[in-house]
Amino acid sequence: MGSRYLGRKLSQAALTIVAIVILNFLLFRAMPGSPERILLRNPHITQEQLEAVRARWGLDRPLIPDQLVDYIASTATGDLGYSLKFQGKPVVDVIADSLWPTVLLIGLGELVAITIGLSIGAYAGWKRGGVVDRVGSGISLILYSMPYFVIGMPLIIIFAAGLHWFPTSGMTSVGGRPTDPIGQLVDLGRHLVLPLVTVALGLIGSYSIIMRSAILETRSEDYMTTARAKGISDVRQLRSHALPNALLPMVTIIAINLGYVVAGAITAEIVFNWPGLGSLTVTALSARDYPVLQGVFLLLSVAVVLANLVADVVYGLLDPRVRS
Amino acid sequence: MTASTVVAVPNARREAWRLRLRGARDFARRFLRRRDGLVGVLVLLVFAVVAIAPGLFVGPLETAVSATGLPLDPPSSAHVLGTDELGRDMLNLTIHGARISMTIGLLATLITIFFGAVIGIVAGYLGGWADTALMRLTDFFLVLPTFVLAIILAPVLLEIIGTDAEFLGIKATLLVIVAVIGITSWATTARIIRSQVLSVKERMFVDRARVIGSGSGRIMRRHIFPNVVNLIVAQSVLTFATAVFTETTLSFIGLGDPFQPSWGQILNLAQATGAPGLGAWWYILPPAACVVLVVLAFTLVGNALDDVLNPRAGVRR
Repeated sequence: MGSRYLGRKLSQAALTIVAIVILNFLLFRAMPGSPERILLRNPHITQEQLEAVRARWGLDRPLIPDQLVDYIASTATGDLGYSLKFQGKPVVDVIADSLWPTVLLIGLGELVAITIGLSIGAYAGWKRGGVVDRVGSGISLILYSMPYFVIGMPLIIIFAAGLHWFPTSGMTSVGGRPTDPIGQLVDLGRHLVLPLVTVALGLIGSYSIIMRSAILETRSEDYMTTARAKGISDVRQLRSHALPNALLPMVTIIAINLGYVVAGAITAEIVFNWPGLGSLTVTALSARDYPVLQGVFLLLSVAVVLANLVADVVYGLLDPRVRS
Repeated sequence: MTASTVVAVPNARREAWRLRLRGARDFARRFLRRRDGLVGVLVLLVFAVVAIAPGLFVGPLETAVSATGLPLDPPSSAHVLGTDELGRDMLNLTIHGARISMTIGLLATLITIFFGAVIGIVAGYLGGWADTALMRLTDFFLVLPTFVLAIILAPVLLEIIGTDAEFLGIKATLLVIVAVIGITSWATTARIIRSQVLSVKERMFVDRARVIGSGSGRIMRRHIFPNVVNLIVAQSVLTFATAVFTETTLSFIGLGDPFQPSWGQILNLAQATGAPGLGAWWYILPPAACVVLVVLAFTLVGNALDDVLNPRAGVRR
């Protein structure tokens, strides 16, 4: 791959991340009430004490560039400040605690949705106007119009509250949790099913819609006419000509979609009380724990930027045309 | 010479009107052939009527004080859709929710489309460094997880404007939701409109306007805008769908106003009460079904308009 293409994409991603950090800084400095007033809720505080506090936190120095440079430097070294809600725990630790449940949920959800959504979309597009296309496209459009929590709530009513097949909330059983590792894994699995189905269903709608139109687009290409003229079988036309070309744009779309997936996962986590970043965000939101909110925003935006970078690089490897 | 000019002007005007009328008839004929679009329009008309005059159907919005039923009562003849945990009639709440959800959706759409259209037209027409700068900004907003940005932006904006602010009877919390949706979702529109402007500005009439001395502002208003207005209309309808979707989600996670409950806010209360775990389906189904119906209807109409107004856009979705 051309190093210029790679270099351009890398510098774009780096610039975007710097812009995100600056946005994060400005956003929370735009709020009325300087930081020391929130933290020193003492009416009897003297001017000298206030000055001392401001000096200690560097608040007496100009906002730009001094404070901004400090902020970028400490962010770069992984210091995101301290949580207001969780007894002054470092934000990094608070976020790290709820990271892996979200990664598990989104990771598996993406995997299931990509497999099923792309298959349905490809088949529907290939047999355009057939039963699968009409039913599948209809259901996809409905799923596409549903916020994740609107998918999750009925699932709880039917499969947890009604049929008692799965627990209603949480990630592990509260009482009587199995002690052996296999029992614990089964316990986790039982809690995971409904949130996972919710995230997957939310994604399948958009993935199958996009895949269907990608297949439809490749069908009108010249090389498909050639393939048909050569007389190769329907299955081989799909497998070795239409699919590879239709899957190409999906790489980018799945990466771009990550931001929406995260948003959806936040609401799915609330519905199922899943102890991930989504539940953390809502707890921090209701407690107005700005350092944690800032940290979550930073983490998620950087993750999305990196996912886009990876997609660009993969796309460049797969398709030489975009490198020029 | 003078005589022919005087005669030519009204003729040209009549000709323009005739063309416009033919265009409208042509559009109506093609749109009427789209069954999905028509179903969407029908659904939206029903919701529009309900949103304009909710009191006509169910009386004033019930509050904790004026609640008419028992807490969490399943559907019965007195309350066809059951009641919530305060004993408020669910039909009453859902119908009043339509007004709030649709109003926020409409205002957020107007802001989004205004910024998207202005940025798209200016960037596309002016080109050069203005285009580069505006498109960098657009790309930045496209890559950001806008929903997460909306979540942190909302409390910050609320602190800035103050919780007591009000505009046209809409409370600060809801205004903030409108603003936040506008700020975070104009980028897609800007991109789509810019690419259309790029092809429109190469057409002959733009050169002619420039030759007779029209300024950039006038060309953008009088010559570029009318030629992308189709796209703006289709994009507005699709944006409305996302705006309602986003409003519902933001209210659901607790950014709504309990005293002006939108559908998302009702679902937030349902979740806080533990309605799903209690199997209280009547608390969830009405607002959830409304959200899905409205978003779906806007998407259907938007797609149909997109196909009819921009036939060369080809197969989308």
